[in-house]
Amino acid sequence: MTRTAEPAQRQTALSLIGLSRHFGTFKALDSISLEIEEGEFFTIVGPSGSGKTTMLRILAGLDQPTQGSLLLRGTDITRMPANQRPTAMVFQSLALFDHRSVGENVEFALKMRGMPKPERREQAFELLDLVHLGRDYYNRAVTQCSGGERQRVALARALASDPEILFFDEPLSALDYRLRKTLEVELRELQRRTGRTFVYITHSLEEAMVMSDRIGIMREGKLVQIGTPAEIYGQPKDRFVARFMGEVNIFEVSDHRLVDFEASVSTVKDGFLIVRPEMLHPVDAEDPGLHFEATIAEVFRLGSRVQLHLETVAGLLVSEQPASCQLKPNDAVRFGFDPDQTHSVPE
Amino acid sequence: MTRAWKYVGAIWLALVVVLLYLPILSVGLASLANTRYMRFPHRNWSIGAYTDALSQHETLVLHLTSLKVALLVTVLSVILATLGAMAFARYDWRGRSAFQKVVVLPIFFPQPVLGLALLLFFSALGFTPTWKTAVFAHMVWVLPIVTLVISIRLFGYDPAQEDAARDLGASRWQVLREVTLPYLSPGLISGGLFAFLLSWSNLPLSIFTTGADTTLPEWLFSRVATNYAPVVSAIAVIATLASVLLGCVVILILRLIDTHGIKGDGDHG
Amino acid sequence: MTQQKLGLLFMAPVAAFLLIGFVSPILIVGWYSLMEPRSFDLNTVFTIANYRSAFSDGYGPPFFWSLSFAAVTTLTCLVLAWPTAKLLHRFAGRGAAVITALIAVPIFISESVRLFGMSLFLMPGGGILAGSMRALFDLSIGSVLNTKLAVYLGLVYVHFPFVLFPALLGVALIPQDRIDAARDLGASRWQVLREVELPLALPGLVIGALLTFVLCIGANAEAAILGGQTVTVLTRAVEQRFSYAQDWPMGAALTMLVIAMTAVFVFPALSRLDLNRLIRR
Repeated sequence: MTRTAEPAQRQTALSLIGLSRHFGTFKALDSISLEIEEGEFFTIVGPSGSGKTTMLRILAGLDQPTQGSLLLRGTDITRMPANQRPTAMVFQSLALFDHRSVGENVEFALKMRGMPKPERREQAFELLDLVHLGRDYYNRAVTQCSGGERQRVALARALASDPEILFFDEPLSALDYRLRKTLEVELRELQRRTGRTFVYITHSLEEAMVMSDRIGIMREGKLVQIGTPAEIYGQPKDRFVARFMGEVNIFEVSDHRLVDFEASVSTVKDGFLIVRPEMLHPVDAEDPGLHFEATIAEVFRLGSRVQLHLETVAGLLVSEQPASCQLKPNDAVRFGFDPDQTHSVPE
Repeated sequence: MTRAWKYVGAIWLALVVVLLYLPILSVGLASLANTRYMRFPHRNWSIGAYTDALSQHETLVLHLTSLKVALLVTVLSVILATLGAMAFARYDWRGRSAFQKVVVLPIFFPQPVLGLALLLFFSALGFTPTWKTAVFAHMVWVLPIVTLVISIRLFGYDPAQEDAARDLGASRWQVLREVTLPYLSPGLISGGLFAFLLSWSNLPLSIFTTGADTTLPEWLFSRVATNYAPVVSAIAVIATLASVLLGCVVILILRLIDTHGIKGDGDHG
Repeated sequence: MTQQKLGLLFMAPVAAFLLIGFVSPILIVGWYSLMEPRSFDLNTVFTIANYRSAFSDGYGPPFFWSLSFAAVTTLTCLVLAWPTAKLLHRFAGRGAAVITALIAVPIFISESVRLFGMSLFLMPGGGILAGSMRALFDLSIGSVLNTKLAVYLGLVYVHFPFVLFPALLGVALIPQDRIDAARDLGASRWQVLREVELPLALPGLVIGALLTFVLCIGANAEAAILGGQTVTVLTRAVEQRFSYAQDWPMGAALTMLVIAMTAVFVFPALSRLDLNRLIRR
């Protein structure tokens, strides 16, 4: 389940060792330990208030942990101030300098290092090209840019400092759906191309799934589970993670019996059975697994798929079928799933 | 709103503006004749009152006194108010809302009463009132107003900009110079303008706290209350035009910052 | 955490200044008001004799006139400022911005100049108004100069902008959709005003009214320039105690009474206002 047998050829970029951040009695971060590898796209997902932003601010040096330490390639940087860390952050509000032009925003970090103006501008031009804005934008006012353009300016500004690690604090959350999708792909591409380590936080599972090499799920200041998107989707550690990763049917198992169906499942451990909507489908009598009567309550067409709400002995269940599915409300159909193909969690 | 109502509205607004400016215009009209008694319409229009005013040494002294008071009030208030505005609008701290209410109290306080209280205060401390004590008195009233003006600008500030600058390698000093102050500058300039004009035109505080020195409004008040003389109108016009001119220049500067300030270093890649 | 420290650090200079320049003078006045009549020193022999004579020695008229002028002026200014603010809000655009600026400019022109102008305008015989009337229409008109009416007009003239700008702020707090919703639910124009607009704009109106009322209680230039000898206002009476009568403790006691009166109006109103919400737009 956890990735103890990680291939050793990859170097560790950032090590978090028992990081805690307390605000009075409130534990915003509760002893987080984590290793982020060189060149990976690591995403931290969690509901709001789970401590994601606190964690990112500590990694960037904008806040100090109450306990624990932080190593960058083995060097302790826990007390190093933000302006000395070789990292850069893209903020949730973007935090663009509204009183300065696009170009001046991009080359801010270079100016802080005392680089002369002509060189700065050359680099800013390259960065503007890299983020698909183009050098025409150099003299434009930040306030005249659209949401997507501002996004790219913020990205170019962070890249300008040539950071070893880039942090992202839900930068896409304010954009519309299509633009978000485009930028997700671009961001992933940029990360592959530059080979840099990206640490990204979001509350959107979808965003995490599309972009990440690995995902960490956070809840109430703790890292609940770490793994690849497939691992977290297919083998969630508990019901919280399972629910967080999308629509799911959860059945209680007690004494090797599925309580809701009053059926025995000898192979499954006691706890809860996680059945994803796509595992629940119409069955023939000879199909293996558990079968039950269902009445179609609602049909939602989601483009490439159809989502069905089923009324069953176990209450309302969710199933997803290919778009070719012709079932209509009030149809009575036998549905089923194979308990051996599903995943169970103890809590 | 119907068409007829629109006309009524426009007429109302025009009336308000005209009524507000009639008295000010009257001073201008009165100053254009140099006769012992005011008798409008003038038989002989002249700018004699202005040449008289300009040839009097007193005119210069009055303007200089008002100028040095207003300039000192401006500089000191803007510095203090910038700090105060940070506490007022930038940081979230326990006691902030109490601080906000205490700061605005001097605005909601009768100015002649404040002037009298300050006069007693100065004499209890053994200070002889001069233009310097007037600077202090003006500040008690101006500082809260400037703090509000700068706070209004500061409320629109995203503090994450400072984090971003730090994150991109700026030292604390660089953050202040490159991010915070440039963002605040329109607020500082308008705050400064408020401070200057309010001090320049203040009467009730000056009356009690300047001692032997005399500011323009004070002098005008003493002359107006006694006897009419055209030179008084002329000096009133000169003093008013000076402040209006300053206001226009500063507003022009603010406009320029707004449209061209974005270019920063003045560099057009 | 650090925000707390920074907040305290930045508020300290302003708080210290106001403690010295605003709070201590009031305390000194309070101290003087408890001294023996006609003394010039501060000591620890306290008496309430001054307060007793404040209520018995005929200071009633100045208090009465200042309070009535303040009340009537505030009311007049509110009635004039409301439609003006509504119109400026309705006509929002370049023209309205210019008019707003034009109304703001007089705030920065000295009261001395503006009231002097008003007296020139109202002057009998050769004044701007009377002179023009005679020259243009051959009309001889009287003058209100040196009457209580002139004082009242002067007060309204000087304080109108102080009500207008808070009122504009208040009008800006009324979302148009609330008015539309009320109209849609069958409210008349009058009902919309009473049930929706005034309550929503209240914070701005309260600030404007409070400011004007307090400033009017202290106003004395209007009476001095426009009122002739017809009325002695409060701060004039207080000032006379200090200057002609040379009775500082008595003057201080009267000052304390004015301050107390102001506080009665300012504190309750100010404690209910949410300044953050008003200033942040």
